[in-house]
Amino acid sequence: MIPFHTLSERHLVYAYIVVWLFQFGYIAWLVAQWRASREPKSRG
Amino acid sequence: MVTNIRKSPGTMPKWALAYFGLTLVVLAYGFYAAMVAPKEATMGNLYRVFFYHLPHTILSFVFPYLNCGASFLYLFWRNRNVERAAAADAFALASAEITVLYSSIGLATGMLWGRAAWGIWWAWDARMTTYLLLWLLYVSYLLVRRFSATGQTAVISAVLAIFAAIDVPICFMSIRWWRTQHPSAVFGGGDNSGIDPSMVPAVLWNMLAWAMWGAFLVGMRYAIERRRQRQSNAHALGFLGDETPQGFQEAR
Repeated sequence: MIPFHTLSERHLVYAYIVVWLFQFGYIAWLVAQWRASREPKSRG
Repeated sequence: MVTNIRKSPGTMPKWALAYFGLTLVVLAYGFYAAMVAPKEATMGNLYRVFFYHLPHTILSFVFPYLNCGASFLYLFWRNRNVERAAAADAFALASAEITVLYSSIGLATGMLWGRAAWGIWWAWDARMTTYLLLWLLYVSYLLVRRFSATGQTAVISAVLAIFAAIDVPICFMSIRWWRTQHPSAVFGGGDNSGIDPSMVPAVLWNMLAWAMWGAFLVGMRYAIERRRQRQSNAHALGFLGDETPQGFQEAR
């Protein structure tokens, strides 16, 4: 593993975490959309 | 006839959940691989941004083609098969949204790297300008879909999608056709291109991980849009059926 505490460009690792946060934020929004949506039901 | 609506979040198929779990595992391994890959000779650790910038950028060139293909299918089917046309339209919307997501991250991480490597956030070179244009085109696509009230939104956005896709090969080839501030192509860029073989697995794992993630997002967004379409149809059919408002019944 890389020596994180002495890593000169460690902000790029934080940036990778931010990328994950963005992506998980989007999927959280999708899950909320899914849960809020309604499925039509045929009445025959 | 479809007349009433029930509020039902529904459940995701088991295979989709399994796929999502596998994607998370591959993503975690991709992150690990990016961190343990050897240090680059000239850029040091700075090059590690490459492991997440490259997959997002490459995939933001792939999703627009899905959007373009679906838009062509929508235009082909819209007067032939309404159900297929609606499905194509939903897929076009889903792939456009993921294009904006991936290209936004591609832009942001590229600027971050540029600031650290060149000392500047931005340069108006061919790659960055055409990439910004690509981002703007797909943002405008989503804005058209959101705010157009013409009743022809799907047709207008399908035509816009086809024009927008023209920028993709120009942007992709820009670092091969012109000398740019942006580094030349790492893969397939000529004799001096390529990376050390020890770094290749990290690139491939991250490419695979973000491709799997993107495919899942497109599928989920598509499913949500199809559900919204069915809901909208049910409302319309309910209005014309036994739920006709009083004023309309009296007028008959």
